[in-house]
Amino acid sequence: MRAVENPYRTVYEWKERTGKKVVGCYPMWLPEELVHAAGLLPVVVWRSDEPVTVGHAYVQTFNCGLTRSFVDDAVRGKLNFIDGFVIYRTCLQAQELPFILERHVRPAYLEYLYLPAIFPGNATKDFLIEELERFKASLEKFAGREISDDDLRRSIEIYNENRRLLRRFYEFRRENPGILRAREVMAVVWSSMLVPKEEHSSWLRELLSELEGRHEELLKERRVKGDLKVVLTGALCQTPQFEILDMIEDLGMVVVDDDLYVGYKYFANDVELDGRRPLEALADRYLRRKPTCPTKGDWEMNWTDEVVDMVKRNDADGVISLLIKFCPPHLCYYPDIKRGLVQAGIPEVMIEVEHEIVSLEGVRTRLQSFAEALRRGA
Amino acid sequence: MVEKKRYKLNRLETTRLIGPLVDRHWAELREAKERGEKVAWCSGPLFIFPYAMGMKCHFMAGYAAYCAGRKAGDQVLEAAEADGELMDTCSYHRLHTGMAAAILRGHPVKKEVILPIPDLLIIGRLCTEMAHYAEALHRRLGIPVVAVDFPPPRRKEDLPRLERFVVRQIKENLIPTLEKVCGKEFDEEGLRRILRVLKEAATIRNQCWEFFKLKPTPWTLWDYGVSIAPVFYMMGKPETVPYYKALLCELKERAEKKIPAILPDGEKYRLYWDGWLPWAFLGMFIRKFVSYGAVPICGRYPWEFFPHPEYIDPDADDVVQNWVELYYTKAQQAAVFMPEGALEEVTKLVEEYSIDGLVMFASRTCRAWNVGQQEIINEVERRLGVPGVVIEADMVDSRMVSEAQIETRLQALFETIDARRRRE
Repeated sequence: MRAVENPYRTVYEWKERTGKKVVGCYPMWLPEELVHAAGLLPVVVWRSDEPVTVGHAYVQTFNCGLTRSFVDDAVRGKLNFIDGFVIYRTCLQAQELPFILERHVRPAYLEYLYLPAIFPGNATKDFLIEELERFKASLEKFAGREISDDDLRRSIEIYNENRRLLRRFYEFRRENPGILRAREVMAVVWSSMLVPKEEHSSWLRELLSELEGRHEELLKERRVKGDLKVVLTGALCQTPQFEILDMIEDLGMVVVDDDLYVGYKYFANDVELDGRRPLEALADRYLRRKPTCPTKGDWEMNWTDEVVDMVKRNDADGVISLLIKFCPPHLCYYPDIKRGLVQAGIPEVMIEVEHEIVSLEGVRTRLQSFAEALRRGA
Repeated sequence: MVEKKRYKLNRLETTRLIGPLVDRHWAELREAKERGEKVAWCSGPLFIFPYAMGMKCHFMAGYAAYCAGRKAGDQVLEAAEADGELMDTCSYHRLHTGMAAAILRGHPVKKEVILPIPDLLIIGRLCTEMAHYAEALHRRLGIPVVAVDFPPPRRKEDLPRLERFVVRQIKENLIPTLEKVCGKEFDEEGLRRILRVLKEAATIRNQCWEFFKLKPTPWTLWDYGVSIAPVFYMMGKPETVPYYKALLCELKERAEKKIPAILPDGEKYRLYWDGWLPWAFLGMFIRKFVSYGAVPICGRYPWEFFPHPEYIDPDADDVVQNWVELYYTKAQQAAVFMPEGALEEVTKLVEEYSIDGLVMFASRTCRAWNVGQQEIINEVERRLGVPGVVIEADMVDSRMVSEAQIETRLQALFETIDARRRRE
């Protein structure tokens, strides 16, 4: 938990310890492996836990928490210790951020990538590879060293190893509901975005070994005492407040799985090398259609089906949608998820996640009535 | 104290002619299926391609303007919300899903804003939400989709490769799909015909723009806003050229006789307007402006529509390439979609049209442009000493428009301009 309590301190300390330059990558699909292969320290940028203050003068209130908090951090100088940033068009809000960074943070390195929507056709893949080649060259210039195919393969293997461990960790949660708190699971994934992958994997191996070794004993303890199993969906780009996760559990619901960005989406797919050029393998991971991400513009994929599968796989009682307030890709998709789950007979409740929560009581009321409805249904 | 209630809007006669032209356009679209014609719904700037194939085509933002003009916006938004849409979602998106809900589930909305279910949805992903609306309609109605990613450029050096990417997608994805849907080869001559008319209309329109430079101005940005269809979703129709000729004629006459856009003696403040035109609230805004003696003159959105007709070459060897060049390497129309390009465009417009203040319209349900708007105000103020304000409202949803907030911000802007004038 310590790593995510103060992400600024965590990243700063790793920068000091490794002597590497830090590059902040904007969520959700940047190929961090390229940054890593350049000998730099890639981190995924985060939403601060402080209310927006100075940033109000630069960004309207009807943008998502990450956008507003990131702009606030930028204009307050809180990001000045980060050496570089990479942003791409995750959404309309993200595409304007380099303009603010350039004026207020003036980082040594600022790259804006045109990662395309994953529309069918060869043009998309060719353009994506061309874009990754360009990104590679710009990183080489900044880092002052070449990125060889072997460097990149090594970084990909380090990242894949971390993903495999995270998937094992998630499997442990699925098989042993109630041992791990939802906030702890999220902290494990989030910390992977903040510390060097090698370190994270080494720590994760120890954690898994302890969990797997003591799982009988831990099962008896069952720290989360709930009679209902739920899965979480949504929360693109950023973390919801841990208090919301605690509240879910306090009301007797055990989180058994999720498809959140700071969750399953982050590590669902490996980069499959299979003897291919590593850059092409990175492109292929980006082009993977599952898990569905509404920022990628794949109109044929059905996110609802994946949520239904997750419910079935975990024998869950219901779904909690965490919708980041003012997140257009999720807003535009949500009515179809709701409708689809109703049709599938799966209970669902939507919780809007705001950056500055005015009152948690409203959230508690919604969750409480959802839990009661699940119990009545059961 | 800001001076008030002395001014009166002096409408152009020619703009009265646009209503019937626009109505005919939408009526033709509504009735197209009955005539056995193919219909597309399109977002982004790609509708010229289905037009070239002789398809009837709706354009996403154009439909919003039409709906708002028919006073049906709130009604269609209600239908969307009854169908599960959330209020924070782009109101253009909600208008379309609301219309779909009205068709599928019989939510009551005015008949004239119901369009036929299309044969094809075309995504021009200049704005990411323009893609989301088609994705949602595909999920709900199962209509086939063809998509072109249309990335707005951040830097000038990005233009050539983005252009190549867009050209390829049009040639490899869009055109073959149109051929399949229409059952015929792509009509290149049709595209050339549209470009010929568009070039002529946009050239005359640029001559009309010159009259915005006059002090007092003989017309307002709103007059141009209601005249935009001929260089926008009505592009290529023969009646668009006579419309602009008539407009030019009236402007010449006004200029000769020194007849201003607002009576008795013209504007006190000349404004730049950023963001979408507030289609459902044009009347409310212009009444407020005029009551202070202010006139909106120019804006980056209305200037997006083929500002450089000199680059349109209907006889180009590769006419698709020529059309894409208008957005990228030549006219760079897509650049204003990013704050970096916008800053240069706003600076240019402020100087060219002797602007006194910036009004940055930030739509509450649209996240395009609004993150950079305050920074653009700061930078333009640094460069040219011209102040600005942000107004938060919406292009369609009346629940998000607070007249009191608008009034206060406008007063603040005009007082700032007055104070500076006193110091000069």
